[in-house]
Amino acid sequence: MTLRALPARTIVRAIAGAARRWRDADFAPRAQLAAAVAARTGYARSAVEYAFDALFAPMTEAALLSAIASELGCVEALDGFVGREGRPAAWAAPIGRVCVIASRTTIGVALPAAAFALCAKCELEVKDREDGLVAAFFRTLAAELPQLAGAARARPWSSVEASVQDLASFDAVVAFGRTETLATVRSACAPQARFVGYGSRASAGYVCAETLSDELRAEAVAAGAARDLVLYDSEGCLSLHALFAERGGGISPFEFAGMLGRAARCATLEFPAAQSDPAVLAARGAARDLAEFRAAAGTGAAFANEAVDYAILFDPPREAPPLFIPRTLGVIPVEGPAEALEYLQRHGLELEGFALSEPRPDLVRLATDAGAVRLTRFGELQRPPIGGNHGGRPRVVEFVRWIDNEL
Amino acid sequence: MPGSYSRETAELDAEILQAIGAWHVRGRQLGDAEFDDLALRILAYQLRYNLPYARYCASLGVSGRSLPATWEAIPAVPAAAYKEATLCTFDPAGAALAFETSGTTSGTGGRHYMEKRDLYDAALLAGFDRFMLPDAARLRYFNLVPNPHDRPESSLGYMMARVAADRGDGETGWYLRGDRLFADAFVADIDDAVEREQPACIAGTAFALVRLLDDLEQRDRVFRLPPGSRIMETGGFKGRARYVERGEFYRRLAASFGISEDRVVAEYGMTELTSQYYDRNPGGPGARVKAAAPWLRSRVVGPDGRRLPRGTVGALVHADLANRSSCVAVATEDLGVEADGGIVLLGRERGAQLRGCSLDAEALLAAGDGA
Repeated sequence: MTLRALPARTIVRAIAGAARRWRDADFAPRAQLAAAVAARTGYARSAVEYAFDALFAPMTEAALLSAIASELGCVEALDGFVGREGRPAAWAAPIGRVCVIASRTTIGVALPAAAFALCAKCELEVKDREDGLVAAFFRTLAAELPQLAGAARARPWSSVEASVQDLASFDAVVAFGRTETLATVRSACAPQARFVGYGSRASAGYVCAETLSDELRAEAVAAGAARDLVLYDSEGCLSLHALFAERGGGISPFEFAGMLGRAARCATLEFPAAQSDPAVLAARGAARDLAEFRAAAGTGAAFANEAVDYAILFDPPREAPPLFIPRTLGVIPVEGPAEALEYLQRHGLELEGFALSEPRPDLVRLATDAGAVRLTRFGELQRPPIGGNHGGRPRVVEFVRWIDNEL
Repeated sequence: MPGSYSRETAELDAEILQAIGAWHVRGRQLGDAEFDDLALRILAYQLRYNLPYARYCASLGVSGRSLPATWEAIPAVPAAAYKEATLCTFDPAGAALAFETSGTTSGTGGRHYMEKRDLYDAALLAGFDRFMLPDAARLRYFNLVPNPHDRPESSLGYMMARVAADRGDGETGWYLRGDRLFADAFVADIDDAVEREQPACIAGTAFALVRLLDDLEQRDRVFRLPPGSRIMETGGFKGRARYVERGEFYRRLAASFGISEDRVVAEYGMTELTSQYYDRNPGGPGARVKAAAPWLRSRVVGPDGRRLPRGTVGALVHADLANRSSCVAVATEDLGVEADGGIVLLGRERGAQLRGCSLDAEALLAAGDGA
């Protein structure tokens, strides 16, 4: 039976089944891959395990079906023509051959895209990383549903240049990475191909005065923010890169920065820093030193341990953008959201996530005005839901070609 | 701050100048005790007259009443602090020289003020003579650095103007204005120097020299510079999109100008310092070791500020006794390794870059510039 002949629900069930196996930390392929991914990325084993949990736990049958149905109207639209009220009947046919180019650092970020491409019954190829995570998942998938064995292939790749040569043969290409990498990939695609690029983005957070009026809530937010900061060494678009703390609560932004420093120390114990290259260590040390220099002059403060495994910089210079140094975060005291928006717009930050300590309407507005495409709670930045719109884009729609039937 | 160039200041400067002169003229080194003694007295002086530095030192437990025991324990001011505060021991309105530090991550620059030219000139010429002109050659200078007439705030421009004026053969050219390279004029002048058999010194930033090489390649031009010619390369590729591997870069330079690779000398300096490092043995095997005059010492430290074991890569912290009118110790993000007779400079070319699925710090910053 070909992939097209399979009901979409069957494919979804198989993907969810494979994900369920991978949710078990003792599942042998997962245990092997965790070691390989840790070795490749340099991240602590605990961070890799966290990433696997964050990746596979939301990949349930219900969540996948819900995402597809909400985007296409119903899951059956993937199987053939379905009637639509006030519109012609339509079939969300597979776009064709899809290529997903895995990210170098964000663990498994290619898998959700690959899963939805398969749900759309596309012939799929993933340019996998050296550790072979996607290939291993596809083997589990083939065990769940043998018909998927030939439909999803994972091939290792070593460099952009070596991998882009065959991109012209794909009908859709998904890529994650730096701007210049995406430009290279895009230029290698066929003119009519659909290009889905997830480019340079950062994430921010806002702790409001209400939160800073309650010590327990503030502690919880600090713990979540610390996790958002240290996971994956701040290297992803969902890492916390700028944090605003509102004045007016019982806990001052300065005190909150200290609280965050203590939380970062704990988070560093849970998720130790990667084997950092000396340039990163030097940059983080210099950032801490400069903050201490400013503090000596009466402005700001630095919170870091002696080894500078992390650095929380209170009240950094507003004229400077976020530092983008791993595990280094500026806490910017503000009177209100307008001040935060001014900072974000001044530095032209393209935002992916925005963590809010409370769903206050003016904060929601701040996040949307600032261009964020995902609003969430602290501690959840690095756990995006499978049905969410990564990069502000749909999940399955990218992989279908609508065919209208007016007969 | 002391009054206008006080006796105390003059006496301290005289001591530093004496140390510089003794090495320049007689090759006299500074022993550890001498270095410590002078460094700590300069620190004590700066703690009295450089308030922002004194505050920083106080926050680290160092004051006039509790001085450290050796130069290695002198609090090093972060280089970026020059952008945050006026770090000098005198009224900067009376500065003889004021050099602008480059804008880096924050895009804002700072200033390094010098009370007198004497110290800067003496330190500069002593180092240049020893490392670039051991043969005391009179050269024609081809400068691919900012012309001080256009940018008096450029320390590199001042340096090369001073060298050319004092050590040149009377003919000096400037071939860089802003980002514009005057390649036609450069080629014409080089042809002239070759024709007249004038030994040349081409001095430029790494980035400008790469652009020059690209231009010469397009013109299909190579030269055979007169014997005694040399090239001084300085700075890195930080903040630039184009990066060229250093070994390949030097080979191309040597081939394009018909000189041997040991005639390509890299200088390492920074606006926040008064003195410079140079390749000690540029033609030798292995990594190029950079050496400095004896009044400039450096250590390689980890993020906790402690000296790292020899052979370990870390950040460079410099103690420059000629920095009398600002801060005697400066911490940098430049990476290096201690080596026999100096340091091996590493990784200055590329600033710390984020990896990441979607995050490209350089692109984000560029977006910020355009906002």
